[in-house]
Amino acid sequence: MDFLAEGVRRAWGLLIAGDSEVFGIAALTLKVAIVATAISCAVGLPLGYFLATRRFWGRRAALTMVNTALAFPTVVVGLLLYGILSRRGPLGGFGWLYTWEAIVAGDVLLALPIAAALSAAAVQGVDPRVRRTAETLGAGPWRTAWTVAREARFALAAVITAAFGQVVAEIGAAMILGGNIRGSTRTLTTAVALYTSQGDFGMALALGLVLIILALVVNIALQVLQGRGGGHA
Amino acid sequence: MLELRGVRHRYGKRLVLDLEQFTVPRGAVVAVVGHNGAGKSTLLRLLALLEAPTEGQVLLNGVVVPRRAAAALRRRVTLVEQRPVLFRGTVLENLVYGLQLRGIGRAAVHGIIGDVIDRLGLQPLLHRSRAELSDGEVQRVAVARALALRTDVLLLDEPASSADSAAAGALYRALAAERAARPVTVCVASHQLEDAYRWADDIRALADGRLSPVTPENLFRVDLPPGDGVKNVRIGGGGIEIAVMTERTGAAVLAVPPTDIFVSREPLASSARNVFKGRVRGMAIDRHGAGVQVRAEMGGDGGVELVASVTAEAARDLALAPGASVVFSFKATAVRVF
Repeated sequence: MDFLAEGVRRAWGLLIAGDSEVFGIAALTLKVAIVATAISCAVGLPLGYFLATRRFWGRRAALTMVNTALAFPTVVVGLLLYGILSRRGPLGGFGWLYTWEAIVAGDVLLALPIAAALSAAAVQGVDPRVRRTAETLGAGPWRTAWTVAREARFALAAVITAAFGQVVAEIGAAMILGGNIRGSTRTLTTAVALYTSQGDFGMALALGLVLIILALVVNIALQVLQGRGGGHA
Repeated sequence: MLELRGVRHRYGKRLVLDLEQFTVPRGAVVAVVGHNGAGKSTLLRLLALLEAPTEGQVLLNGVVVPRRAAAALRRRVTLVEQRPVLFRGTVLENLVYGLQLRGIGRAAVHGIIGDVIDRLGLQPLLHRSRAELSDGEVQRVAVARALALRTDVLLLDEPASSADSAAAGALYRALAAERAARPVTVCVASHQLEDAYRWADDIRALADGRLSPVTPENLFRVDLPPGDGVKNVRIGGGGIEIAVMTERTGAAVLAVPPTDIFVSREPLASSARNVFKGRVRGMAIDRHGAGVQVRAEMGGDGGVELVASVTAEAARDLALAPGASVVFSFKATAVRVF
């Protein structure tokens, strides 16, 4: 118990003192998470809408594939992307391996199925008459999609939150693709793993607390945005 | 104006619509009547260009509509669904939705919606959200939202199903005013024959996805037992059995033409195999103005409603009035099977 209390005391001290390493790691984590969530949602939400609303050959297979991808182990995704981004891989020329961009690429691959599968479910949950009504009132495909999205706003906000949660908390891909390089690609999760293995429990706990606070702040921000867009039912 | 040609529409393997030809002429009001599940709503969705038929074509002004109709084409037709939905936001925001899509300026929008707001008495509802409206009010707003668009074709699926009689009256008056103001083509689906008779130029009956070859009254979906000759078939939920002469078996629709029903106050000795006692529920001048439609419920409360046509003189001689006891008789051979 002393060990745990000591860890909490040290974590608190680091946070109060504004430890530059802790905040540097937190800033990088936030940057990676925001960029990866934005990209995965920019692609995944329209993909989910498409899968939910269009009838085409292979749709069921596509939905099964997306749902299966939800359970992809993060280390396997990291490994596959490592092969692609490494010097001898097909995208080795970009020189992305062990950069924050590589972590973003891995996180996008992990969050994309979440964004697509959950947004497809969210759109399928909207009364089909909403889409028909928008169309019969003269809306084109984009305006119809926007109208449906407005009806599913709470579910879609939850999709974004889930994608962010996946990205901010994953460690496998970040470790393999980023390399956990101090001051460059060390994220909160990889740092927690490192400091724990080094026995610096206080530092690990401080970073863990930052991770939780980060997730909390982003969730509250999303809820505030939802509330602002709420208004009439 | 709008036409379906050789249309067979399926949901999965189920054939829901089978129409060789269905035309809604320009400027006409066509009523489509039929049971729940007869295919009325599907028909309207095809006419609204919201769905493409599995087989066959939809033509607008003689031109075949592509399978995925562009928004510009869809903007010429509007559908109000049976249970319409309003988008989130206020009634006012719903009313301007389609007009804004058409790029109509703010001043013009207010002029247009002001007109429908007055006609349908929506002023007190304008700033309410959908959660604050009754089903009837939602239906009125949905009709107003469609009327505001001034489309060439207006499709209405049971437009007064949730309205009380006053609201239904306001709704029909608004539609009549719209027709008087401009040449709008209307197709309305209803299971209420009175509505259809009141204001449609043409009435079509739909049963099991097909157009009925006879008038729309007295249609019953049945399952015919095997065998030849006279069969007794239970109809409706009131335990009434109709004797029908047919060789057909399996799912079918029975139609009893109202003109083939004898109306009397007491049972008559005759060759009729179908004799039902009941009470008059309503009377209306029939749509050709030549006689009276007598609507009676047979087999007691919760029984089956039948409609018979009689001359005005016969109705007077028999002293027919709502609540009066009445006997309907018709031959087994008078029952049409399709």
